[in-house]
Amino acid sequence: MTEFLVFLPSGIAIGSVYALVALGLVLTYKTSGIFNFAHGGIAAVAAYLFYELHIRQGWHWAPAFLVSLLVVGVLGGLLVERLAALLGSAPTVMVVVATVGLLVLLQSLMTAIYGSANIFMKSYLPTNTLFTLGRFGVTVEDLAVTGFSLGAGAGLYVLFERTRIGKSTTAVVDDPNLLSLQGTNPAMVRRLSWIIGSCFAAVSGMFLAPKLGVSVNTLILLVIAAYGAAALGRFENLLLTVAGAMVIGVMVAYLPSQVSKISSNPLVQNLPGNTPFLLLFLVFLVAPTRLLTERGVANARRTRPIRTFSRPVTYGGFALLGAVLLLVPTFVPNAEMTQYASTLGYFIVFASLGMLVWMSGQISLCQMSFAAVGAATAGHMLQHGISWPLALLIAGAVAIPVGALVSITAIRFGGIYVAIATFGFAIAMQQVGYYTSILFGQAQRIDVPRPEILGVHFTEIVPFYYLCLAVAVLAGAVVLAVRASRLGSLLRAMSDSPTALAAHGANTTLIKVVVFCISAFLAALGGVVISGVPQNASGALTGPFSVTVSLVMVAVLGFAGRRPIASPLLAAILFQLIRIYPPFNTEGFLKYQGVIFGLLAIFVAISPALNIRGAIARVSSASGDRRDPSAGPVRARLDSAPVKPVALRSTPVGAEPELVGSGKGAGR
Amino acid sequence: MLELRNITAGYDAGTVLRDVSITVPDGAVVALLGPNGAGKTTTLKVASGLLGTRSGQILVDGEDVTNKAPYQLARHGVCHVPEGRGIFPSLSVTDNIRLQAPARNFKASLGNATSVFPRLGERAKQISRTMSGGEQQMLALCHAYVSDPQYILLDEVSMGLAPKIVEEIFEYLHDLARQGKSMLLVEQYVAQALKLADYVYIMDRGTITFAGEPGEISEETIMNSYLGSLAS
Repeated sequence: MTEFLVFLPSGIAIGSVYALVALGLVLTYKTSGIFNFAHGGIAAVAAYLFYELHIRQGWHWAPAFLVSLLVVGVLGGLLVERLAALLGSAPTVMVVVATVGLLVLLQSLMTAIYGSANIFMKSYLPTNTLFTLGRFGVTVEDLAVTGFSLGAGAGLYVLFERTRIGKSTTAVVDDPNLLSLQGTNPAMVRRLSWIIGSCFAAVSGMFLAPKLGVSVNTLILLVIAAYGAAALGRFENLLLTVAGAMVIGVMVAYLPSQVSKISSNPLVQNLPGNTPFLLLFLVFLVAPTRLLTERGVANARRTRPIRTFSRPVTYGGFALLGAVLLLVPTFVPNAEMTQYASTLGYFIVFASLGMLVWMSGQISLCQMSFAAVGAATAGHMLQHGISWPLALLIAGAVAIPVGALVSITAIRFGGIYVAIATFGFAIAMQQVGYYTSILFGQAQRIDVPRPEILGVHFTEIVPFYYLCLAVAVLAGAVVLAVRASRLGSLLRAMSDSPTALAAHGANTTLIKVVVFCISAFLAALGGVVISGVPQNASGALTGPFSVTVSLVMVAVLGFAGRRPIASPLLAAILFQLIRIYPPFNTEGFLKYQGVIFGLLAIFVAISPALNIRGAIARVSSASGDRRDPSAGPVRARLDSAPVKPVALRSTPVGAEPELVGSGKGAGR
Repeated sequence: MLELRNITAGYDAGTVLRDVSITVPDGAVVALLGPNGAGKTTTLKVASGLLGTRSGQILVDGEDVTNKAPYQLARHGVCHVPEGRGIFPSLSVTDNIRLQAPARNFKASLGNATSVFPRLGERAKQISRTMSGGEQQMLALCHAYVSDPQYILLDEVSMGLAPKIVEEIFEYLHDLARQGKSMLLVEQYVAQALKLADYVYIMDRGTITFAGEPGEISEETIMNSYLGSLAS
């Protein structure tokens, strides 16, 4: 017990920062119905700006803190509010694409400017000990952080529970028009909450900078840890969110010391630090469904179905595509063939993602985790002397139960919560799962050698390319078969209206499980192909199976379109292939690739709200004649007999003689 | 006086209202009738600022308020109870009333509301989504009482309610009329609306086809206006 008390203060200090982040997240989600995946990005940008001003430019910490807060918290908050407003009626999938796009953009921008290395930063708040609790000294810094967070939490609670503006923040999600009708400006309410939310994120970023160092990846990861607290608060309840953050903080501080007593296994020791991510996923696995209601979905507009190509165009296109893919080795030098082979691998993963996202309307931010399961399984199988085709199938088969596990969250909650849960799953896999011996092990690396089948040396790159092509064609065929089958129709129906489909008697639960399983299977095949190119697979943060890659893929597929084959192919080419060709093979493009992908994803997500086509139509119709035939005669008639209140009795407009004065009590 | 002058309005590329003029004199009840798709709801949306105009003017007491935001029009005394249930389903009854009431006047408004609608007082803490349709509509109607408006726009407040409840709702409308509020009423219950109304407008396909007093129109006019497009 005394030992627990020793860790309590530091746990609370950590928990306070989690609480601050989670409060900002819950606040903006409550107010806009937009779950901001880029919340961590905002924290990171504030930390970097603070570092730039305070350390590099030598400012005193106070003005540096204030300027960062104003620029990132206030201005950034206003910008994100604009984005959220444009996403107001977008389908959940596009909301995720846009906010993930923003996260990818910010992460890539910060890495491009400051590099990915962790920058050390001295504490700027006094660190002298004020008093001691047990063996733990409480510093001014800890007290300031905790005090600020608790104060912010209490302030928010009062705002939400006691004030009109606080109630408006909930009302604005329900019905912004009604709020406006009742005399409150909804835009003002939204701006306020985004500014508060972003300021909280910014402050937490600056609080964490001296504790963890300034590093975009660390900060984003830490902010996601706060999602766990937000989940414990049901993304709604501010007090539970703060309490959840404190519990997580104490667990993160206290558990490592306990675990090290029980086991020296590095895997087990790794667990406590990752409690938040495990919790985040667990909440979605076990929390009662009725406790989590999705916000703002009632206003969502439907996506238009894609236009199908005519049969000759489809077949002609496939024939041409097949011919080009078959002939690639004849015009591409061998040195560049590896890029083509891995592009095919990414195509498979993109196709599996596209099936899930565009066909069934569910979002997965853990597609590369499925791929990692495939790659690692294939590696283990090949080491045990199992032939490559069989290893490939086993890899796919092993991913199926993983897909089924993830689909539980989709069955139980759906919508945005699937995205959050899969995000939690992906990070938990990255931080814990990848280290297990059934995946990459402590070495974080497994060999996936290229095979030799029936005397053909697939170890050479050109034959291996054809092997990849065969797998890609197989995956593409599976996607097309699903699309053409009854399951495909059910998936599209489910994406349109799950309730209506359930009312028709279809088992939506089964459909969700099946589509996640197929998607995981395909992603695993993709993983095997991707890892076959360098002949090894690694779970490292910079490797192909990291969370970041899953995020970037969602952004890229988001703007590559919704076609089942063409879009994943385009996405894979943009993601993997164009970087070897000018003008994209410059260092600048590689550095800012994430920025471009993020911008494009955001643009595609908000473009329906920008209503470009409508604006063009209005401009052209304003310049030309009014083409409406009925407008002419009606106007002429009304012009001759204008409706005036005083003239109401004498000149009823358009009243035929026999109808006038035919008595009262009409309609009785 | 609330005036719509020669309003043309619509959504995106489509035009819904063509040259619509409606006047709601002070203290008068104006019924706006017409078949589905005639543009009644759109007219109310324009009048309360929810939808911008392409051309034409909106005047409140002679002041031009064309294309002002709804919250600005609300401050001019325009109160629009929209189609469906005009409430915030996630908020409690009290909190709904808090948002309906003027910012400074919440306590008094709440007392006023619960004396007019005792049933809302009993359910003050309840989340409004969990109430019955009739209770929800009363909560929506509460807006017309607590915000002390001059002009009340009511869009099918009787929709989807049991006849008994509809009668009750109309009692409240009569009460508001007796208080001297100006009302623009869109209603499916034509007979009830005509009993209440001082003036009647009939719309069809986005234009005003009749304007006059309830005494001037017959059942036939109404039937024609509702079914006319079928008959011709």
